[in-house]
Amino acid sequence: MANERTLVCGVQGSFHTSTKFFDEAESDYFGELEEALIHGDPITSSHGPKKGIVETARPPTLEIFPSWPMRHQHHQHPTVEQRKSEQSVESSEESGSVKDTANTTSTGVIGGAQSQVQCRGRGATEGEAQKGLVVIMANGAPQRTGAQQPPPSAPQIQYDNSHTEKKKIIAGSTRKDGKLLDAKTLRRLAQNREAARKSRLRKKAYVQQLETSRIRLQQLEHDLQRARTQGMLLAGCGASSGEMSSGAAMFNMDYTNWLEEEGRHVSDLRAGLDAHLIDNNLSSIVDDCITHYDTLFHLKARLAQTDAFHLLTGLWTSPAERCFMWMGGFRPSDLIKIVTPHLDPLTEQQVIRLCSLQQSSQQAEEALWQGFDQLHQFLSATLSSGPLSTDVGADVSNYAGLMDIAIEKISSLENFVRQADHLRRQTLHQLREILTTRQAARCLLAIGEYYRRLRALSSVWATRPREALIGNETASPNTVTDLQAIQQSQYAHYSAF
Amino acid sequence: MDAVTKLASQRAVVVFSKSSCCMSHTINRLFIDLGVNPSVHELDEDPRGREMERALAKLLGRNQAVPAVFIGGKLVGSTDKIMSLHMSGNLAPMLRNAGAMWL
Repeated sequence: MANERTLVCGVQGSFHTSTKFFDEAESDYFGELEEALIHGDPITSSHGPKKGIVETARPPTLEIFPSWPMRHQHHQHPTVEQRKSEQSVESSEESGSVKDTANTTSTGVIGGAQSQVQCRGRGATEGEAQKGLVVIMANGAPQRTGAQQPPPSAPQIQYDNSHTEKKKIIAGSTRKDGKLLDAKTLRRLAQNREAARKSRLRKKAYVQQLETSRIRLQQLEHDLQRARTQGMLLAGCGASSGEMSSGAAMFNMDYTNWLEEEGRHVSDLRAGLDAHLIDNNLSSIVDDCITHYDTLFHLKARLAQTDAFHLLTGLWTSPAERCFMWMGGFRPSDLIKIVTPHLDPLTEQQVIRLCSLQQSSQQAEEALWQGFDQLHQFLSATLSSGPLSTDVGADVSNYAGLMDIAIEKISSLENFVRQADHLRRQTLHQLREILTTRQAARCLLAIGEYYRRLRALSSVWATRPREALIGNETASPNTVTDLQAIQQSQYAHYSAF
Repeated sequence: MDAVTKLASQRAVVVFSKSSCCMSHTINRLFIDLGVNPSVHELDEDPRGREMERALAKLLGRNQAVPAVFIGGKLVGSTDKIMSLHMSGNLAPMLRNAGAMWL
């Protein structure tokens, strides 16, 4: 029956169930039409109902003007009415969420449509609302199958485009529906906005941080490059950059700076002694100088943690210093021996104390050296354990274990370097204790000068002309002249002191 | 801790060390060179070595527990302290007072 009706109405195939909205009265019309068609009777316009039939024969999609009598309203399908009331409740819920209005069930669409109808139905006539309802109902059928958009056959009388339907529904809902709902949506939207804003700010901050880090990295690389080249040149050692650790290179640079300042302290001491400053003023110069030595020990202690070898092998000093170095620096008892002649006149008490200091340092040095030697013995034993003739690759696990023990042994190297520096520091401080201010000034001046000469010896030795020394033994006038010239040039070096 | 205190009070000079620790060897050598006969306890050869090491570390306030030197039953310190005392000439009197040295 319904199919029949569909055919009769000429409704497009999609309007399968649209016929259910035709009330009983209409079915009468159709019944008559059917009969007329079957029986071939012409439809006379005088026949009222036929007129209605003719009119009703037009497909509902082309209905622009309400041709349905007003009584149509009363004969509404009860479910429609129910649905209407239902939907007025539902729409209030559904319009609250975009998702629901996108609900593909016909109920949802209808509900949305309902509210749409409702909102525009403020001033609209009931008939219009009715039509809207009908129109959308007609469209509701295909949409029941799940399509969100109305079919292409959607009447132009559908006021809104489908893509704005949702928007309108929401917009409509803000105007029409209860404030309570919108607060939720509004709050959510505001939160989203806030979150988005925060995220943008975070991103901005992060990018800025990256930028500054990049610039800093460039600067650091540049500085490191500069320091490397400077450290290499000034250390005067033959070690290639690959052999020196970065800590060692930095230390060499620091030491060069330290030497420059040491020169200034020595000049201050000399000037102070020559000017016969009162003890208080000279004392501050002396203390500054000792503090300056403490700085060097501090630097060395720091490097000892990472590269004790560098300190012990003396690659940071001149060759002559390196040759006679003791445990990474000067030997304390040697230093006392060097300075003592320059401290005259000494009181008897001072002599006793100095002797005692020298003896103590000798004992301490000996003990330290014994411990260092024991370390060497242990290391030797470890490295020579196992067959020395086998290839490394043949017994990897044994090799690794061996290395582990060896590493453990030499980890105490740092302690030895630090103890040696500790002895050196104690020596300087004890000298300060024992001596008067002027004597201490002379003492420090002597130390500074001694090591400057030792460094100078290194460079003189390195640049000595070797050709003049090779050659015949007989002292020809030319050779003598050459030798004299060499000696004079060497004295020229010494005159710098 | 008790073991440490007990052992420390047994002799005038007591040194807690480890056979593998070369710095402990340095301290021992120094005392011997001074004419002192220290009582040396190797912690790695003592069954209670571990807890004694922990106790000493706490007393010294640092990770490295050895060498630890007690003179006259009292804790003096580690290598740094002994060296400073010796260089300043204060170690010998301390040893004499404890009866460890006769010179």
